[in-house]
Amino acid sequence: MHVMDEETTENIRMLCDSASALVPADGSLDRVRAARFQAPGFSRDGWETVAEMGWLGLRASEDAGGMALGLPEAVALVRVLGSGLVPEPYVAATLAIDLLEDAGPHTALDSALTGQDIILPAWQATADGLDPAAGVSVRNGRLSGTKCAVIAGADLYAVTTAEGLALIPRDAGGLTVQAIAMHDGTYRETLTFDEVAVEVHPSTDPVACLARAMVLHAAYLHGAAEQAFDITLEYLRTRQQFDVAIGSFQALQHRATEMKVQLELARASIDAAAASMDVGQLDHAGHMAALRARSRAGELARLVAREAIQMHGAIGYTDEADIGLFARKLVVEAGQFAPEFRLRERFMTHREDAA
Amino acid sequence: MTQPPFIADHAPHPDFNALSDAEFRALARDFVESNYPDIPRFAQHRLRWPEVRPWYAALARAGWIAPTWPQTLGGMGLGAGKHLILIEEFERYGAARVHDIGTVMLGPLLMQYGTQAQQDYYLPRILRGEDIWAQGYSEPGAGSDLAALRTTAVRDGDEWVIDGQKTWITLGADANMAFVLARTDKTVKKQAGISFLLVPMDAPGVTVRPIENLEGHAEFCEIFFDGVRIPAGNIVGEVNQGWTMAKALLGHERVFIGAPRLSANALGRLEASARANGLWDDPAFQDRFARLAMDLADLNDLFETYVQRLRTGAPIGADVGVLKIFQSELYQRISEELMQVAGSLAGVKLAEGGDSRFDAAGTYLAARPTTIFGGSTEVMRNVLARASLNLPK
Ligand SMILES: Cc1cc2nc3c(=O)[nH]c(=O)nc-3n(C[C@H](O)[C@H](O)[C@H](O)COP(=O)(O)OP(=O)(O)OC[C@H]3O[C@@H](n4cnc5c(N)ncnc54)[C@H](O)[C@@H]3O)c2cc1C
Repeated sequence: MHVMDEETTENIRMLCDSASALVPADGSLDRVRAARFQAPGFSRDGWETVAEMGWLGLRASEDAGGMALGLPEAVALVRVLGSGLVPEPYVAATLAIDLLEDAGPHTALDSALTGQDIILPAWQATADGLDPAAGVSVRNGRLSGTKCAVIAGADLYAVTTAEGLALIPRDAGGLTVQAIAMHDGTYRETLTFDEVAVEVHPSTDPVACLARAMVLHAAYLHGAAEQAFDITLEYLRTRQQFDVAIGSFQALQHRATEMKVQLELARASIDAAAASMDVGQLDHAGHMAALRARSRAGELARLVAREAIQMHGAIGYTDEADIGLFARKLVVEAGQFAPEFRLRERFMTHREDAA
Repeated sequence: MTQPPFIADHAPHPDFNALSDAEFRALARDFVESNYPDIPRFAQHRLRWPEVRPWYAALARAGWIAPTWPQTLGGMGLGAGKHLILIEEFERYGAARVHDIGTVMLGPLLMQYGTQAQQDYYLPRILRGEDIWAQGYSEPGAGSDLAALRTTAVRDGDEWVIDGQKTWITLGADANMAFVLARTDKTVKKQAGISFLLVPMDAPGVTVRPIENLEGHAEFCEIFFDGVRIPAGNIVGEVNQGWTMAKALLGHERVFIGAPRLSANALGRLEASARANGLWDDPAFQDRFARLAMDLADLNDLFETYVQRLRTGAPIGADVGVLKIFQSELYQRISEELMQVAGSLAGVKLAEGGDSRFDAAGTYLAARPTTIFGGSTEVMRNVLARASLNLPK
């Protein structure tokens, strides 16, 4: 258990309260439903709220106009966003901001923090890749190659390359954007760069930025999983079959307990990772903590998705029941930042290197 | 477009069971290759009636629509082993599953419990595609606890009057007939007062509401009955004997619901997508794949033991549940691995006509209900424990 100082606790309380701007207290998902399958999968109004609340500058330095809060605070906020299935790509945007800061002062940072431009990262080369340098190359100020699984809705892309960070407008000459619909009603894009003119800003440690984003993403999965779990528990208490609430069946109780075990493990792992990565350079231990948190959250997401559907019976397989929205979101999001086997591989590399 | 009735126009069938398995397999393969119409193959979800109708028509014309019915009644008269081969060959080709509740469920039930008049009227209509049937058992309050159903049928002169609601009816919106379990006596033990009724979907008072599933297909639906009147003769078996009918329907099909084909299909997709993503040679993947492949082979062996029992007419016990439990859970485990292989793009929703082999999340979602319908895994485990483990109550 990590002891938090009073100030952090208070910040977290305030942030979580502020999340009600996008996560209705009554659990309504009407806004979320309305945004599904309408490109880009979230609303510009929602994005304005994200910016107004100051969340984009949560971890940015005060010099840059941010709040200079820590990863634990961000984790707490993102958990609430996850519990409300907020489709606005907050985690992706903070990764872009992190990358921008990492690549030194940049005017684009301003417009990212104010929400004026939506800047989203394009870092992944293949669906199971974890290397931000892969997929593209820069020659004579021209960028070529591809990035995949980019969250849709950007005005500008923060493209990671071996040479550093490149900021590329959506309408840049030589850039082809192909959008694909996901099962949760959001979109991902494949970007193909053909000799796109770029200015590259040398980055110091994009992998560390990814590790922090991974922990935030894990928090999103955790928040969504926990809410799906609560909804399922409520169903177990109220759904009657054979003249009793189905929650009285031990077969279901034991599996509900398993979800509880996994939720608590994930919480501990995510919170510990956030606390330990918050200060200083990211060492092997920090990377391992992030990989662990993200792995557990991915497995948790799919566990809760399948148990939530199963325990709801047929109604869990319908689009009209909210639990289905959770299941879809969990399944789609679980694979972001690479599948677990790749994370485990990377974990073992750090383990070897640390020894 | 071809419309029913699809009249059979073939010479009398040979005795298929007399052929060797290899001969019959070749025949089945040739049949599907030369008769499958220009409609989707390897479809991830059930095709709707307008899409699948040409295939139904082709099967009906050839007299192949009801593989297990006796030849005297217009079927192929296939034994279980040959039936399995037929299914395998159709699956291998990626043939769509036709609307088969009439041939698979209602037909055999009528042969066992229906009156001569019912058989004479309904069986040919199924063969000719004139009646497409839906199964109306479940209700909002009666899923696993089917005997808790509340839809009622009250006798009024020469008619039954039906009130209530059925739900989760697969392809119900495509059907023109439904068989429905309804309560005909409220005063007796809940299993005892249920009857089995045949209801035209166009009868006044029937309303259908489609329900979209998690993949966005309106595959099942809800049916409301508001003072629906059907002739008194539309009951199968005796009044209040519906529970016996409902259970009898399971008989044969208990085995086929545990057939390895869903898992086999999914494993094929897994291999294809691992090869496409360059993961096939990864030793860690190979280990996980090998485990799944071995599980599938074991499932095949287990399945074969039940098919053997069907072939020889030996009784199928309650332990047949192990088949469905293992099959559906294996299918789901394979779908988990598909998600891993597809990584960050596992959630891609295929555009219409896309290659369904690469729809990882779609397969994942499609695998979910297999542990819910036809008796949920939890309830099947209860039944299995009670019927075959001899544990204290
Ligand atoms: C895709 C699909 C197609 C279907 N098609 C049809 C159709 O054509 N016609 C039709 O009539 N029905 C159909 N059904 C309905 C199906 O038969 C029911 O969904 C099934 O009987 C389970 O009932 P339920 O959904 O109400 O779940 P519930 O019975 O409410 O079960 C909810 C959860 O509780 C568990 N549970 C219940 N009882 C026990 C127990 N005693 N011990 C331990 N756990 C228990 C269940 O396993 C499940 O996990 C279909 C369902 C699906 C998903």
